Amino acid sequence: MSEDGLIKTGIKGLDSILLGGIPRTNVILVQGVTGSGKTLIGSEFIYRGIAQHNEPGLIVVFETNPDKLIRDAAGFGWNLDELQQQKKLQIIFTSPQVFDQELRSPDSLLLETAREIGAQRIFVDGVGLLNTNLIDSNSTHRTYRELLQQLIESLSRENLTAMFSLELGNARDSIATAETTDFLADTVIQLGRERHGRRIHRSLEILKSRGQDYDAGEHTLQITGGRGLEIFRRVQAPLPAKSKQPTSSTMRSVIGVEAIDTLIGGGIFDGSTTMVVGVSGVGKTVLGTQILREGSLKQKTRGLLISLDEHPAQIIRNAQTLGLNLEEQVADGTIQILFESPQELDIDSHYARIVKLIEERDIQRMVIDGMTSYSTAIGEIGVYRDFFHAIVAYSKQRLMTTFFNYENPEFLGISSYMPDFPLSSIVDNLILLSLVEINNSLHRCISVVKSRGSKHSFDTREFVIGQGGISLVPLEQNPVPALPLQSYSSLLSRAPTRFSLPKRINGAAAVLDKG
Amino acid sequence: MTAAGERLRPRANCVIEREKPMEPSVQNCLHGVGISLLSELDVLIFVYRHRASLTSADQIARLIGYESKVVSDVLDRLERGKLIERSRPSQGVCFYRILASMDAEHGCCLQQIISLSETRAGRLQLAGRLKTLWSDS
Repeated sequence: MSEDGLIKTGIKGLDSILLGGIPRTNVILVQGVTGSGKTLIGSEFIYRGIAQHNEPGLIVVFETNPDKLIRDAAGFGWNLDELQQQKKLQIIFTSPQVFDQELRSPDSLLLETAREIGAQRIFVDGVGLLNTNLIDSNSTHRTYRELLQQLIESLSRENLTAMFSLELGNARDSIATAETTDFLADTVIQLGRERHGRRIHRSLEILKSRGQDYDAGEHTLQITGGRGLEIFRRVQAPLPAKSKQPTSSTMRSVIGVEAIDTLIGGGIFDGSTTMVVGVSGVGKTVLGTQILREGSLKQKTRGLLISLDEHPAQIIRNAQTLGLNLEEQVADGTIQILFESPQELDIDSHYARIVKLIEERDIQRMVIDGMTSYSTAIGEIGVYRDFFHAIVAYSKQRLMTTFFNYENPEFLGISSYMPDFPLSSIVDNLILLSLVEINNSLHRCISVVKSRGSKHSFDTREFVIGQGGISLVPLEQNPVPALPLQSYSSLLSRAPTRFSLPKRINGAAAVLDKG
Repeated sequence: MTAAGERLRPRANCVIEREKPMEPSVQNCLHGVGISLLSELDVLIFVYRHRASLTSADQIARLIGYESKVVSDVLDRLERGKLIERSRPSQGVCFYRILASMDAEHGCCLQQIISLSETRAGRLQLAGRLKTLWSDS
């Protein structure tokens, strides 16, 4: 037991949500529908208690065959047989009636066994079955509430921290049983198993826990063969005791191209967040790759590229064709690439993986390429916003410089930064990469429309992608056959219009010939 | 000679594999642990699979579909035969477990019986032997 009087469940992620653990002798109720993982969480609670905290335990089953329980546990690497031989665990098969009478009996075999092995934890699988045992050996009728109260009292007397599982159903008596049990238990954990599209999403929510605070809301539960349960905290929950917001006045180059840095006001602040908005194929991924290489090669910062669209091998190959060698940085670990399929994306566990990678590798620059795939994968605008708010908050907390690529659905011109899920207000800098149609060809343009704390240019500049990545087309050497971009107005409004008024060249006013 | 027996007879042109150490036959295993009735096998398997059952003969009888008296008698015989052990009684129930200190020969036979009982074919084989024993007795 920890010094703060909390008992650690030992289940990965659960103690963190419980802000350290559960007060000792709290009666814990785990409820859920069939297949939600109730027996598993109880088995792991007992197993981890023995294996990690040297707290022997009992598992009491009414319907599950202990042989199968042991077999299933072995699939997670938990050798319950061995623990039984070591007298640290006892799995007991009995009936609800016997269990009830045993807890009330002065010469109880069950409690004798608990004392013999020094049990501190007990898991009772299927406490709702006690509801069928309402007439005791003296033919006295008791209510389920009374029976449960007696059970809890007996376990408390023995100083056992108990976990019960309860199957939730839709029948009226099942709902009444759940209501009574919920009321009497000190800690109620609800497990969910819901269909999201064609896949199954498991969740865990703490409905109450007497004597402590906890992270409320629906968290993600994953069951992994060979490991066991893992709970991923929901991304939107604020991090406790981390309200201080560090800031930095250090401004760094984005991609090492002076002209672009000038365009965005001399670089961007460490810890700032930047959204790069543009149509597919305009160069967002190339810019992202350059951003990470610049950080790794010139500024000695470790980078992370997150993609839901492209496999790392493809990203490396595509970068290679532009002379951007990522292979070395990936090999030496200065640049990490995290790829996850959007089809099976679970946002809570994905967020946890990102955070783990950032902390383990000390990442200082991150590119998320791109946000559109997240919106497709997540589906719900609320969850999508929560994810990016959490990423932005976390980035700022670590003073990590973060770039989000957003694929704008409009091919020519941009009438809205993010028409589906507006999030542009939460970022510090906003860069637009656009395609502009002049004569019969498309040109790539870059504009900086927002850069908090910087004096940036509002000019739209043409850029090209070649060996080495993105570079700006010099104003005086514009390859456009007829006239340079600065000869047009309304470049981003789908209708570039040539004008013949004075224009600026390198900041100085000039007069252009009519034409 | 049965057809099965004929299949076992070596033929002149067959290459006979070197003999492997023989596992005790099903018959020997059943004799070895002193099981002669199907009810004994069923109760033994129940106790084996449930590891530590805190229960009564009545409850076991209900779960495996026998009369209470039959199960009660079987539990007595299995205990006398040093296959299972039971704790002191409490409120009409006991802990029933497979005897932890079973000798190696008994243990080997028990394992083979349990292993056979895990498949339908094995169970039929066991039931067939027990029926024979039942008929003979």
